[in-house]
Amino acid sequence: MIAVVGLVLGVLAGVLTTPVVPTGVEPYLPIAVVAALDAVFGGLRAMLDRVFDDRVFVVSFLSNVTVAALIVFLGDELGVGSQLSTGVVVVLGIRIFSNAAAIRRHVFGA
Amino acid sequence: MQSAERPGAAGPEDAAPGVPAARDAAGPPPGDPDAAGTPRDPAPAGRPAESPERPDTAPDGGTDPPPSPDGVTDAPADGTAQDPGRAPSGAALLRAALWPPRATRSQLVVAALLFALGLGLAIQVRAAGSDDTALRGARPEDLVRILSDLDDRTARLDDEKRQLEAQRTELETSSDQAEEARRQNEERERRLGVLAGTVAAEGPGVTLRIGDPLGVVGADMLLDAVQELRAAGAEAIQINEVRIVAETAFTDRNGGVRLDDEPVSAPYVVRAIGRPQDLEPALNIPGGVVQSLENDSASVRVDRPERVTVDALRPTELPDYAQSSP
Repeated sequence: MIAVVGLVLGVLAGVLTTPVVPTGVEPYLPIAVVAALDAVFGGLRAMLDRVFDDRVFVVSFLSNVTVAALIVFLGDELGVGSQLSTGVVVVLGIRIFSNAAAIRRHVFGA
Repeated sequence: MQSAERPGAAGPEDAAPGVPAARDAAGPPPGDPDAAGTPRDPAPAGRPAESPERPDTAPDGGTDPPPSPDGVTDAPADGTAQDPGRAPSGAALLRAALWPPRATRSQLVVAALLFALGLGLAIQVRAAGSDDTALRGARPEDLVRILSDLDDRTARLDDEKRQLEAQRTELETSSDQAEEARRQNEERERRLGVLAGTVAAEGPGVTLRIGDPLGVVGADMLLDAVQELRAAGAEAIQINEVRIVAETAFTDRNGGVRLDDEPVSAPYVVRAIGRPQDLEPALNIPGGVVQSLENDSASVRVDRPERVTVDALRPTELPDYAQSSP
């Protein structure tokens, strides 16, 4: 419950305060957000699997975000940034889908 | 949950069916190693919620395979498959997780991370929604592409502008030329109209008044006068109310004079527009029109008024078949 409240508070803060993101970080923000979404779905599934551990969740969340941003950064340096970010988004999207399928099986039993 | 308190009540004698009830951090019930061994109870903890259709892929958040040595995860106990109905469903689990709120450490940590996620989500959605910031997050190569696109477009529009300007200049000059041509045409039309007798004319000139009490003046004498005036440069001539042009016919009929089949009678008033200094001497030369008329006992008077008006008109005759060709 407190986690959901945290998510809602974050969205509200982002909408209301309209913070300015530094220009250097800006290209990596969408990828980082998708990676964090992937981590959150994985955490939800782990909770339903009763294997949830906050330490693992924190580590996976941060490492997902960092690795995704790093991959995109590396792609930018190599000149294949847009292709690589597309690949990252595809991979993360597949993972999100599979996690969502597992969650669905848990919650709806189908 | 309803079985959570059973390990306490479960004696070693009824532990055999109650093994799946081992839950939470309970682990194997202490003191019944023989009873626990009956259903092949796994060593770390029996997890009744492990559904048999659990996929083999790693659940994230754990990011580790199920048979992890981690103390929290565990292998699915095959002994639990015999009693899945006792396990709370996923929906009930979700509900239990949502309410009542528990301010545990993990909840707070996850809340902090989700706060960051929501922040990033809102920022990104807002940034992607607005146009002007769309360029700020773009990559250098995208920016270069956009810039070159804009350059191309600018060049195209410049070309178009130049063409249109040239076209406008052309149209303006051509309309000027058309205006000039129209003006010249009107001017020519007026001149030709004066010559053809279809428009009235006014200007300096002379009037020749011929009195004919004896009826001696014939068409030939009027024609002589007209030809003398024309030779002297008269531009528009009229006799009485008849305009004299190139094809005017002078005929004698029944002792009278007809001009273009129009009977005219004395006194004949000839009005001619032209240079008066040329016209008057031409009429008065010795042996000329005036002298010969006076010899025939007609009275002749030549005036040089300020303005002579020639206002008798001939009808405009448009040709039926001939058309002008350039």
